[in-house]
Amino acid sequence: MGEKEERVLEKKEKRQEKLLKKYESMEGAGKFKKWRNERPFWGATLTLLAGLMVLYIPLQLYAIAFIPGSLVFVGFLFGGLILIVGTCAYFYPKLSTLFGVITIFLSVLSIMGALGGFIIGTIIGIIGGSLCIAWQQDEISFTAPSDKKRIKRRPKHQRPIENNQSLQA
Amino acid sequence: MKDSNARVGNTIKKKFFIAFLTGFLALGGIVGIFGLTGTAFAMPLGGMGDFYVEFEELNGTNFEFIPKTGETGNSDSKPMVRNKMDSADISKLHIYKDLKLPTGNWVRVHIKAPSASINGLIQDARFIDANLSFEELSIEEKNSKDITENWTQNASTVSITNATIVTDYLFQSMVSLDGAKISMERIDEPKILQE
Repeated sequence: MGEKEERVLEKKEKRQEKLLKKYESMEGAGKFKKWRNERPFWGATLTLLAGLMVLYIPLQLYAIAFIPGSLVFVGFLFGGLILIVGTCAYFYPKLSTLFGVITIFLSVLSIMGALGGFIIGTIIGIIGGSLCIAWQQDEISFTAPSDKKRIKRRPKHQRPIENNQSLQA
Repeated sequence: MKDSNARVGNTIKKKFFIAFLTGFLALGGIVGIFGLTGTAFAMPLGGMGDFYVEFEELNGTNFEFIPKTGETGNSDSKPMVRNKMDSADISKLHIYKDLKLPTGNWVRVHIKAPSASINGLIQDARFIDANLSFEELSIEEKNSKDITENWTQNASTVSITNATIVTDYLFQSMVSLDGAKISMERIDEPKILQE
């Protein structure tokens, strides 16, 4: 086995261990922690916060927001869309990458018309979007290690007859 | 032991940092573009009542001055004039607007720019207090019932100094505000300029 492959395997093992630890911590956890585990919770929460901050300026200037062509209206649109995307990220975790990309895009564009919630909204939106993109659900498979070892140790010709597929056929 | 699967939510650091950096690069790009050029395209302002435009000097080309009636913030039809220019260079521009907040307090929104250049300027003014000088000025009258064609004034160049203009509509095809500053301040009562 090459060094590279070994490193990859080591990394995989470490990751698996990390996931196992996380899983173990989840076993005794409450309902909220389990609910959080199933979705990009912090990404979605920060996205919602960013949406509210982006909306702050257009809400302050609502008197001029609905004038045709006014950029403040664009601020309303971006802020509202970020809020919707943040909410969707809670309920459709499988699409978290897409939601993350949209959040970053809208947060950056919200500089126009809403000043990006005094830039803070934009920065929080970028962090929230990045967390949504980086979030994924990993599967941990539990197999009996002793069984695995036994199968590996036995050469093919020594396996029990019932397991030998060529004989069964 | 039986084989089983469980799912655990996890954040991949590498992906996070790539997305984070990409976001900030995009933000830097957009801020850089605005910062370098100070440019906004097709910026109309209007329909929100009077706002004030003050500047030290304006030099414009292909000036056209058309009387018209138009809507203001508190009237459907008021006499005003439409100023049109192909291009204009302005120094010490100050645009401000008084807004009433739902709480009853007044705030003044300021847009200040030491210099500005505008292409395709259309401005409807209700009141102009300024020093004006024209080159190749021509005043034309037509026997027309249309108020906008009845009387027009054209000049190849116009120079306006120390102006205070009560404006009701402003449109710019392209505006570049160098070193623009936008600020808000609380005021006790709105400014009312009567002609």
